Amino acid sequence: QSLEDCPLDEDEDAFQGLGEEDEDIDQFNDDTFGAGAVDDDWQEAHERLAELEDKPVANREQDGPSGEDSDLLGEPEDTLAERLTRLVIDSELEDPAIMQAVQTKVPTQQPGGLNSSIWDSSAVLRRIRGPLLTQEMPSVSVLDYALPQRLPQTREEERDPSERALPRRSSSPVIGSPPVRAVPIGTPPKQAAAPSFNQQILCPKPVHIRATMPQRYPAPYGERMSPNQLCNVPNSSLLGHPFPHSVSPVLTHLQRAQLLGGAQAGRMSPSQFARVSGLVGSPLPSVNPKLLQGRVGQMMSPASGFRAFFGAPPAPSQPQHPPGPASHLQSLRPQPQMFRPDTTHLHPQHRRLLHQRQQQSRNQHRSLNGSVGDRGGHRSNQQERKDPYANLMLQREKDWVSKIQMMQLQSTDPYLDDYYYQNYFQKLEKLAAAEEVHGDGPKKERTKLITPQVAKLEHTYKPVQFEGSLGKLTVSSVNNPRKMIDAVVTSRSEDDETKEKQVRDKRRQTLVTIEKTYSLLLDVEDYERRYLLSLEGERPALMGERKQKICDMYDNLRGKAPGQDRPSDDHFMQIMCIRKGKRLVARILPFLSPEQAADVLMATARNLPFLIKKDAQDEVLPCLLRPFSHVLYHLPLGTVTSLVQQLTNLPQSATASAPTNLHLTAVLQNKFGLSLLYLVLSRGEELQSSDASTELMQDNQWTELMLMATRELLRIPQAALAKPVSTPSNLISLFSRYVDQQKLNLLETKL
Amino acid sequence: MNYMPGTASLIHDIDKKHLVLLRDGRTLIGYLRSTDQFANLVLHQTVERIHVGKKYGDIPRGIFVVRGENVVLLGEIDLEKESDTPLQQVSIEEILEEQRVEQQAKQESEKLKMQALKERGLSVPRADTLDEY
Repeated sequence: QSLEDCPLDEDEDAFQGLGEEDEDIDQFNDDTFGAGAVDDDWQEAHERLAELEDKPVANREQDGPSGEDSDLLGEPEDTLAERLTRLVIDSELEDPAIMQAVQTKVPTQQPGGLNSSIWDSSAVLRRIRGPLLTQEMPSVSVLDYALPQRLPQTREEERDPSERALPRRSSSPVIGSPPVRAVPIGTPPKQAAAPSFNQQILCPKPVHIRATMPQRYPAPYGERMSPNQLCNVPNSSLLGHPFPHSVSPVLTHLQRAQLLGGAQAGRMSPSQFARVSGLVGSPLPSVNPKLLQGRVGQMMSPASGFRAFFGAPPAPSQPQHPPGPASHLQSLRPQPQMFRPDTTHLHPQHRRLLHQRQQQSRNQHRSLNGSVGDRGGHRSNQQERKDPYANLMLQREKDWVSKIQMMQLQSTDPYLDDYYYQNYFQKLEKLAAAEEVHGDGPKKERTKLITPQVAKLEHTYKPVQFEGSLGKLTVSSVNNPRKMIDAVVTSRSEDDETKEKQVRDKRRQTLVTIEKTYSLLLDVEDYERRYLLSLEGERPALMGERKQKICDMYDNLRGKAPGQDRPSDDHFMQIMCIRKGKRLVARILPFLSPEQAADVLMATARNLPFLIKKDAQDEVLPCLLRPFSHVLYHLPLGTVTSLVQQLTNLPQSATASAPTNLHLTAVLQNKFGLSLLYLVLSRGEELQSSDASTELMQDNQWTELMLMATRELLRIPQAALAKPVSTPSNLISLFSRYVDQQKLNLLETKL
Repeated sequence: MNYMPGTASLIHDIDKKHLVLLRDGRTLIGYLRSTDQFANLVLHQTVERIHVGKKYGDIPRGIFVVRGENVVLLGEIDLEKESDTPLQQVSIEEILEEQRVEQQAKQESEKLKMQALKERGLSVPRADTLDEY
């Protein structure tokens, strides 16, 4: 029953053969997709249509063949769902995407006939509208369009309108189509209002239509195909347009693809229908082959439908069918109940939702004055005084658009999702509050309307596991993507590595440490805010966490000490060699305890020349000055003394030659070093001057140091001195204690 | 003044008269009837206004559906102040003629410019994707 096998000509025999297939297939379709319509409307519609047509609608007994067929064909659909649900181990699927997928299979009933539906000109109409209108037809069935036209032609054939609905698509997503989101986000709510149909709207007789070939079909299929092609309009996907209001893209990829199904424009206009009047059918553009593909996938051969169209053996009766468009055509005033959108391709759940909304909108539309009919100029809306065209865009549609925009702003944690915006607005608000002008109240754009904060739900999607399956599951969705690779980290053996590799690894290690410490730092910095937001009971816990993190940070910085002492600054030095590491240290310092901070300072001072050398390119060391100065502020003299000692590397060992103190020289020649030195000295001076006790005077070490330091300072040529960030004012007084006037003057000039 | 995010702010502009400037330089004036999340617009009773110097001419166009990406800017027209303009309205033929003349002059000056540049060995590559406005 492939397409290729279908006869290309109106051979009676062939048709007979087709008819048989048709029966089977139709039955199949009826049962799986036709019967069991969700709403009852179709029944009334069907009856009305039957009256209209004035002929027996259904030739076939539904029950018999359908019964058996349903077993055969319906079953796969039904049981698959059941099987799936049985298979699934964890049935509490939280993954909406998967839920949809699973549920899809269960209700297989779909209204509307399938076979013949494709062939009917309704599709043509849809198709025609496509190019003319930017937006797709609403869910009101195209059948409505088509029917009147078809009536005369299909007098002999079965004419159960139910068949006109398009079959449910089961094909794979449209290749090369636009992102499959076409339906969810882009679609305006469907307006259930039935448009008014004129005869003009209806497509011309199918036979006259020369549609371009869909790629899939061989050329000879050509003209014969046209009715098919007509039907294969990228229609109905949009018909059943989903998401009337809630734009939640809950469908799986596949479903979306189905919905998209060859839709050219991924957007539906809710009220597009109403404006169609006057639309004249034009030759069909090319049919969307994908629909056909879908159909094929459903074991419906186009030929069968085709056959149905041409009216050979009566097509299977489809008890349910979309509401008779004819009736609706006859009375221009559409009766909403008659409208049965072609939703066969839709996900049942979706369809249900859709119909509900249509019900709602029907009520709405009934209340509107002539809303469904021809809008042009006949509307009188009391609200808009003189504008008869007002409110073309329904409130529903407006809400829908704003909902889309709002959805994008939904956030469970605005500080995480939109950090800069939040901070910016906080600043602005502070400014505004500070100004206290209160002249105009909320100035201009005070706030955007943002959706309320969604409750913070912890969604842990456990991936679906099927019992008895080997390996990874094949059901993956947007919420739990499949793991592609099992990457295992293997550490290389030491022997193989070359020296370079070791160096590189070490550096990498350091980088990793820096990153980890940085995250800790960011967390710690964030604690203040969290503290404010948290409840009373949680606060101690928060504080504890914070402390712990600070400790961790410090450990990271200094490296885990094997023993009590920290024998080497190596780890710290590694970090300090990297630009980011220096900034990290600068940011961490405020959080550290005084002892820890002093330790860091000492380590820095001790290795300053090395650091200076490494920093030559980055020049980031000065960023440390401020935190260092804060730290210094709290240091006792003893520490300060040792600091100076470290900095200046004085006194030098006896064996070292006196003239050159490289350490000090390097320090003095570097901006940061010099500034730091000044800061330390100034702190010492502060201590000395503030603490009037003679304790300091008795501190020989300090005095000696100062003496030596001044001597060195004098010795160094001025040109070699770096330009410090700031020169503390009390240095002179400091030096004045230790040197005589002459030297003091010299020093002064140097500084 | 709270406002809606994104294109939702256009909702408040529905059924009002707007002036829309398109990327190809056209100016449309019409009643905004519908919009969507891409800021596609449906303009009703649209008039294309051509400005040349101090004169302008209106060409009635009917219903326009504008794809959102082609809009440079749009703004509501204050109906009271609409007629309060120093510009002079002329007939369509006249304004088209004026426009043609203006285009011609522009082209000629452009040509001269290119020539001058060429003589100096410089060239300005034609950016076809530039918006006309």
